[in-house]
Amino acid sequence: MSVIAAGKAPQAAPRPVRRKRPLFNTAIGRAALQAAAVVLLFALWQTGVQLGWISDFLFGAPSGIYATFIRMMKSGELVIDTSYTVFEASLGFVIGTVAGSIAGLALWYSIFVARVVEPFIVAINSVPKIALAPIIILWFGTGLVSKVALAVSLTAIVALIAAYQAAKDADTDLQALLISMGATKHQIFSKAVVPSTIPPIIATFRINIGFGLVGAVVGEFISSQHGLGHLIYTASSFYDLNTVWVGLFVLMLLGFVLYYVIDVIERVLIPWKVSSASHQVQV
Amino acid sequence: MAGPAIQLSVRNIHKAFASKGAEVRVLDGLSFDIYERDFVSIIGPSGCGKTTIFNIIAGLIEPDSGELIYRGEAVASLRGQVGYMMQKDLLFPWRTVLDNVLLGLEVRGVAREAAVKQAHRHLQAFGLAGFENAYPKTLSGGMRQRVALIRTLIMDPGILLLDEPFSALDYQTRLYLEGVLKQSVENFHKTVVLVTHDIDEAVALSKRVVVLTGRPARVKTVHDIDIAESSPVTARSDRRFAGYFRKLCGELDIQTEAQATPALEI
Repeated sequence: MSVIAAGKAPQAAPRPVRRKRPLFNTAIGRAALQAAAVVLLFALWQTGVQLGWISDFLFGAPSGIYATFIRMMKSGELVIDTSYTVFEASLGFVIGTVAGSIAGLALWYSIFVARVVEPFIVAINSVPKIALAPIIILWFGTGLVSKVALAVSLTAIVALIAAYQAAKDADTDLQALLISMGATKHQIFSKAVVPSTIPPIIATFRINIGFGLVGAVVGEFISSQHGLGHLIYTASSFYDLNTVWVGLFVLMLLGFVLYYVIDVIERVLIPWKVSSASHQVQV
Repeated sequence: MAGPAIQLSVRNIHKAFASKGAEVRVLDGLSFDIYERDFVSIIGPSGCGKTTIFNIIAGLIEPDSGELIYRGEAVASLRGQVGYMMQKDLLFPWRTVLDNVLLGLEVRGVAREAAVKQAHRHLQAFGLAGFENAYPKTLSGGMRQRVALIRTLIMDPGILLLDEPFSALDYQTRLYLEGVLKQSVENFHKTVVLVTHDIDEAVALSKRVVVLTGRPARVKTVHDIDIAESSPVTARSDRRFAGYFRKLCGELDIQTEAQATPALEI
């Protein structure tokens, strides 16, 4: 008080520089925020339904979704449908990614062949593959094979383009070094080209796991007896919104889990890559 | 007088590149000799084609005309017989230090067990024992270039082609690695051709310095460097060092006197 009365600014002691850290910016804090957001959303939704602001018939309700989920878990149908979709999506993903990557890498061997087929690849890629779904069902039937085939058609081209591009981008200095050592073309391929394409190919896994699910679900929409796509499609035709939501949330969860599975695969396959988060620039 | 035995003779090499429709002549009848156990530095104005001649010797590109004579025989290139080291260390990021060192031996098809034994000896000698399983990313620039040097030496190449191998390093690390290089070249009885833009490095390390003209490159002069000191640090304090340095600067048309005034008279 006396300081102010004297009209002098208080002499601020040099404060130790302390990096301000937001209260919630820790692993637990962030998780708490994320959980709170989800809880808040569902609470608003439920309240809205109970007050009559939101139509239960058109939007479903969290309480109904939960009840449906428990019922379907008990009857076992949810587990069966989920395992069908997971199987179709994973198998399609693995076949499509492996075949596409191998084909893309093989194009490195011959610039001539690569140049000849390049416009065809672009053409195939520019077709929305989902449009092929009816034909694929005609060819492969309404069973499991057609869903896998659809997932393959979506994932293979992505993997092929990524692998071919990565092989083209492989460090030419490393290849030059191998040539000066007297390496053969096979040795250059296996020692310089293939290893350098692994990170970009794994990066496509993240996109392709989503495409695998898209292929499986769309296939199930069109014609099927099982699967989450089948579940969602039939439920929506009965205006059973709660069941539709159960299917959607399970799909979301699946995508989430598969994404982290790929994270683990990445860390095992490319230990020489420091994770990108650790050397991110703080702005 | 009978000179020392010639190991590699570069004869009348011509090379032109097409650039935006026009033809750029890079090498125009380049000829020089490398003796057995020689240490030759090639200096010249930047962009004069020093790297091009290395790429021709290593078999990465073909000359338009001219020939290479290696130990009396005309050869297309020395692919597989040279140890090429560049400014970038070119360590394979997905290989550990040990596997990087083994690269050349793998290419050659040497049995892994014998190769590993040899690699351990080299890593020990170069003070890199204990880093066998480290990835290049975790090493300092100097350590990485040392790994690259081991990778080159372990193949026991006929000629080492060093293309500004130390120019990306700080001065202290560079002096240290120059010493390591000089020492190992003497221990392993190697022939070295060093491309550098650093006159000081050329004088301190070499037995002879080849000065090239600007593009298209031809040999302007060849200087013998008569400094017996083996360490690059003591070589720099030799009383003849300054004389060689000044002479080579003159050859490269580098202004040795301060000439600030004429610019002000415009």
